[in-house]
Amino acid sequence: MDRRELLKMIAVVTGGAVVGGELFLTGCKSGAGIVAEFNADTLAFLDEVAETIIPATATPGAKAAKVAEFMKLFVNDCYEEKDQKAFLDGIPKLNEASKKANKKDFMEASPEDRKALLISLDKESKAYMQAKTAADPTHYFMLMKQLTLLGFFTSKTGATETLRHIQVPGHYDGAYPYKKGDKAWSE
Amino acid sequence: MANNTFDAIVVGSGISGGWAAKELTEKGLKVLMLERGRMLEHVKDYVNTTKDVWDFPHRDAATQQMKKDYPVLRRDYPLNESTFGMWANEKDCPYTETKRFDWYRGYHLGGRSLLWGRQSYRWNKWDFEANAKEGIGVDWPIRYDDLAPWYSYAEKFAGIQGTKEGLDVLPDGEFLPGMEMNVVEKDLAAKLKTQFGGKRHMFIGRSANITQPKPEQGRVNCQYRNRCWRGCPFGAYFSTQSATLPAANATGNLTLETDKIVTKVLYDKDKKRATGVEVIDTHDNKTYTFNAKIIFLCASAFNSTWILMNSATDIWPEGLGSASGELGHNIMDHHLKNGAGGTVEGFEDKYLYGRRPTGIYIPRFRNIYDDKRDYLRGFGYQGGAGRGRGVDIAEFSIGAELKESLSEPGKWHFSIMGFGEILPDHSNKMTLNKNVKDKWGLPVLDFDVEMKQNELNMRKDMMNDAAEMCNAIGVKDVNTFDYGYNVGMGIHEMGTARMGRDPKTSVLNGNNQVWDAPNVFVTDGACMTSASCVNPSLTYMALTARAADFAVSELKKQNL
Repeated sequence: MDRRELLKMIAVVTGGAVVGGELFLTGCKSGAGIVAEFNADTLAFLDEVAETIIPATATPGAKAAKVAEFMKLFVNDCYEEKDQKAFLDGIPKLNEASKKANKKDFMEASPEDRKALLISLDKESKAYMQAKTAADPTHYFMLMKQLTLLGFFTSKTGATETLRHIQVPGHYDGAYPYKKGDKAWSE
Repeated sequence: MANNTFDAIVVGSGISGGWAAKELTEKGLKVLMLERGRMLEHVKDYVNTTKDVWDFPHRDAATQQMKKDYPVLRRDYPLNESTFGMWANEKDCPYTETKRFDWYRGYHLGGRSLLWGRQSYRWNKWDFEANAKEGIGVDWPIRYDDLAPWYSYAEKFAGIQGTKEGLDVLPDGEFLPGMEMNVVEKDLAAKLKTQFGGKRHMFIGRSANITQPKPEQGRVNCQYRNRCWRGCPFGAYFSTQSATLPAANATGNLTLETDKIVTKVLYDKDKKRATGVEVIDTHDNKTYTFNAKIIFLCASAFNSTWILMNSATDIWPEGLGSASGELGHNIMDHHLKNGAGGTVEGFEDKYLYGRRPTGIYIPRFRNIYDDKRDYLRGFGYQGGAGRGRGVDIAEFSIGAELKESLSEPGKWHFSIMGFGEILPDHSNKMTLNKNVKDKWGLPVLDFDVEMKQNELNMRKDMMNDAAEMCNAIGVKDVNTFDYGYNVGMGIHEMGTARMGRDPKTSVLNGNNQVWDAPNVFVTDGACMTSASCVNPSLTYMALTARAADFAVSELKKQNL
């Protein structure tokens, strides 16, 4: 399971190529970039969004994997300016959507309401990404979901506790037994 | 620098330079190896070798700043956090593009021997005969039989894992036990043989990863980490650092100088011999001279030719070796990045353990025996089967169910990508651009290279044949792909100082000697007269060892 497989998987489940992943993208312009403000409130907000997408179960979730910190770094350093803007504009948009759906700020909403909201935003973003023209901005929720999955599955906890990881395999077995429920390798 | 006289000077420390240094020092010559880049010590300087993905802040992705600083490297996969710092600084070392040309360079001790894909294949007998038979370029001055013993010699030392297949199209070598094809690859390989009447073959990709320890070289067998590009702490893949440099050092005959750019070969026009080289120290910008009886240019294809272009210009304005009119011409690469793939049903009770650092290989089948196409030459495929990750279930888009479904392995899949031969063409060339200078005030190279009709025709087959084979062996949901190839992306630069039989049409003779300076040898990719479709590095190793053997015997006979 290499990085390419991970990016492919994220593209499939979010409905668009991983922004900043640039699997086979060549020759696009590099933006100067804006340095986005991510204050403590923003990070807390993004942590809750990420935790709703990948919650703690028998294994730790996105918050334990410090996904919001990863989002900050990746958006600032790896995104082009237009995607930075789409991501940042998405934070109040997501909160507005929460108020509209649940009459509450996202941070005040119950876990069930948060989940229902994000399920609807996921549908909305997939429909939008399918219909949009090249000039339209990327949907903020696709970016948030992509970064949650990328940040979580490449974190230490994601790779070693939710998935399996062996640093030095030592040998190769091309017909290794597998039974339903066994976890994927992290790479 | 007290001592500046040596028996031999080797310029460059990559795959070819490392071999030249090893062979010449082992034969008793006092050798100076010059490397333009920095020192990079085996194991100690492999700074990322034990890191995991979470140890990289951007999880191995390139940042916008990296993309800004590396406008060429960013065109393809090499720009990432785990190999960052292992590629030439593009601000200090620019080049210009009359036509877009992708040039991925490793300027440090070991060069791209630390970054290569390690695929190691012999050329076949047809590869050496094709130019003459088809009237393309010039005839190779050597044949397969001239090189075969040197392939064996190189394979035994480097350590190439592979399986013997008994095929004319891809001759067997001196292999270490081959790595294993996985359960799906074995099944598909058997079907391929049946479906194509025994004419198409799939087997493990032969590579310079050792599957048995080489204690005499201090190298441990491959541990299946698949992190070769970060440098291997086990020395399990062949590189200058893991193999040839320790051998050369062990003789006590090697002097290594890093951070020295060779700017020209010094030439004595009366004796018609080189006397040494001039270098610039990259730190103090001072010029130094080193003298030697023989010189091996192994600076990577284009840089070896760049040195020739800057040498003896008082006699030949276009440089040493330019009397043929072919210096800088006939640039070749392998065109790639298209193929096909899909999913494989079944095998749900099987998975993979370990990360194998090679895939499968399907050797060329076009334009051999009774096959005839509307283009010349052919292509091979590299690829493999693996198990994807995550099960995409639409209703599990958020939450614990999503986490669960993405934590499982997915379906098996299989894909192959072609590697096609590019014909030598005089119009595919590079020249010195004196209007643009690098950090040290040296003129840079300008590239004027394009894909010609033969390659474009071949590319159609390359993609369609891939899909046809996938369908024939039962791969489902087959998709063709073409990610777009630009010349250079194969990172298999060849040509610009080709070998030949006639000084009027070639730069080097059959022993890699510059016709006008027989004590100057060029044994890296520059010397190639045609390109074959197989990865070239093993051929550079064999050619270098052969030329070094010849050089020392000529030196003993006082012919140089």
